[in-house]
Amino acid sequence: MATSGDRLGGAGLALVKPGTCAGRAQLAMRHRVREKGRGSRPEAGSVATANTMDIGLFAQYVMNGLMLGMMYALVAVGFTLFFGVLDVIKFSHGDVLTVGAFTALATFVGLSRLGLESQWFDLAVMLGAATLAMALLGMLIARVLVLPLRGAPPLNTLLITLMLGTVLRESVRLFYPQGANPKPFPALLPRGSVNLGDFHLRFDNVMMLAAGVAAIAALQYLLHRTKLGLAIRAVAQDEETARTMGINFTAIVLVTFAIGSALAAFAGVMNGLYYNEINFGIGLYLGVIGFSAAIIGGLGSIYGAILGGFLFAALQTVGTVLLPFASAYKDVFAFAVVIALMAWRPTGLIREKISERV
Amino acid sequence: MAGLLRIESVFTAYDRADVLHGVSLTVEPGSITCLLGANGSGKTTLVRSILGLTPPRAGRIIFDGREITALPTHKIIAAGIACIPEGRKVFPKLTVEENLRVGAYGERSKAAVAARMDEIMRIFPRLAERRAQLAGTMSGGEQAMVSIGRGLMCAPKLLLIDEPSLGLSPLLVKENFNIIRHINARGITILLVEQNVHQTLAISHQGYVLSKGKVVAAGSPDELKDRAEVREAYFG
Ligand SMILES: Nc1ncnc2c1ncn2[C@@H]1O[C@H](COP(=O)(O)OP(=O)(O)OP(=O)(O)O)[C@@H](O)[C@H]1O
Ligand SMILES: [Mg+2]
Repeated sequence: MATSGDRLGGAGLALVKPGTCAGRAQLAMRHRVREKGRGSRPEAGSVATANTMDIGLFAQYVMNGLMLGMMYALVAVGFTLFFGVLDVIKFSHGDVLTVGAFTALATFVGLSRLGLESQWFDLAVMLGAATLAMALLGMLIARVLVLPLRGAPPLNTLLITLMLGTVLRESVRLFYPQGANPKPFPALLPRGSVNLGDFHLRFDNVMMLAAGVAAIAALQYLLHRTKLGLAIRAVAQDEETARTMGINFTAIVLVTFAIGSALAAFAGVMNGLYYNEINFGIGLYLGVIGFSAAIIGGLGSIYGAILGGFLFAALQTVGTVLLPFASAYKDVFAFAVVIALMAWRPTGLIREKISERV
Repeated sequence: MAGLLRIESVFTAYDRADVLHGVSLTVEPGSITCLLGANGSGKTTLVRSILGLTPPRAGRIIFDGREITALPTHKIIAAGIACIPEGRKVFPKLTVEENLRVGAYGERSKAAVAARMDEIMRIFPRLAERRAQLAGTMSGGEQAMVSIGRGLMCAPKLLLIDEPSLGLSPLLVKENFNIIRHINARGITILLVEQNVHQTLAISHQGYVLSKGKVVAAGSPDELKDRAEVREAYFG
């Protein structure tokens, strides 16, 4: 029971390492999940009886990996977008996700106080408030911190946004009521599931995945089918020439930061809905993974970032399965593989095919 | 004379050292005005100054009766200036068609964009064949066509052209000059930077010679042809 519980915890609650504040949250969560025995977590007995992994558990691992991969991809895409238009790493990206998740939670609390408790309405307002607020925060960060640092070495931008991330994170901890503790996040999606043999396919997971796919599809549509997207891509390829085509560079940068930050807020809400809990450390962790995913994918390529996100989740899942005795080390495993990948392909997995001509 | 573009004693510097030392010139509406000068004399820098990419440290630039000296680049473009930049600068990971579309960024009417696109495809049938090809995978000459086509997409009042024929075969260079003349015949004023002195003077109405960041000679092509400054600028 304990072993299988840990394995589940490892797979299902892969977000934070034990030992950190966030880790404590994870332990608390594992505990809760075991108590509640919620739908999709496979029953302990089924694992104990089968020596080899059965289909149901396998499907559960896959589903969990897809959920994680989707969140990582949404974060990684932001890093890629920012790097694309400005050639900078904005390290506070993950903490914007945290602020987004807490904005959604605060909105929910506010709506509850007003007595508005329709699930769909609440969810729509929360998502709207979180994405809009983070879009504005992203633009503010770009305007006040990132753009003024353009003349400075990119490392300075990385450092300053790293510090900004700490400020955001600590602000959540200090100023959100009991912000240092993990906060329960409302389960606003339908609870039901369909049983496919041993595997319980949860509706809420399916909806979140579908929403994630829709968000990425919308981004792709925006980038490849609209004039705004054309301008973003032009700026990403050659800022100066884009300006001489009449493109307002500053405006495009701000819009890009708004889009990336809104996607982070979306991932933050998704994270809350999936684990039914958020804490001030989620963004830091997701940020590091999202950044790694973007790098694996060859920073600057949207497809690469998405691929990187799912690849990282796959590695974690494989790590959990291969290291049942120590699933806490799945992150070590995943990051070790990433390091090996980087040594093998220093510029990421997706390589530019076009050599520039003079 | 008012002039479509008037440059008044412009000083431009990269970092600290001045590259342009008080350049003044006028581009008459409807003309092809050429800018000649040796390598490093500041021709591209002058183009960049007009576009606001390296704004002048001192002096004024007046376009169409309005001062554009301190404007951000996208506003200068919106005022009616387009450019075919030195080195072509196509967007390598955009298709040929997308490159042309970026050129028409300021144009709101979809019909106008489509009409100009068709027109450019008529001028350069090669681009029509390769609409969906990534510009970065085109040959050098084809990229030059993309760059020229892109510059025409916004139907500018003034087109700045910086060494469009660099690296082209003699046949394409000749074709290039025909196209420039053709563009001009349709009412677009042109400021042309070129290395092919004779062909350039043959199609220009007015010329300036730049040397070490100063205008050292100006006049009609006939006047410039025999001037020592021109020979010095190009032949040492
Ligand atoms: N980005 C830059 N930073 C510093 N100096 C520069 C920069 N660009 C150009 N220069 C200098 O300014 C001077 C003028 O350069 P510019 O490119 O305007 O010459 P040009 O007349 O266009 O030459 P070419 O015929 O070779 O294109 C040169 O001495 C060059 O070294
Ligand atoms: Mg030049």
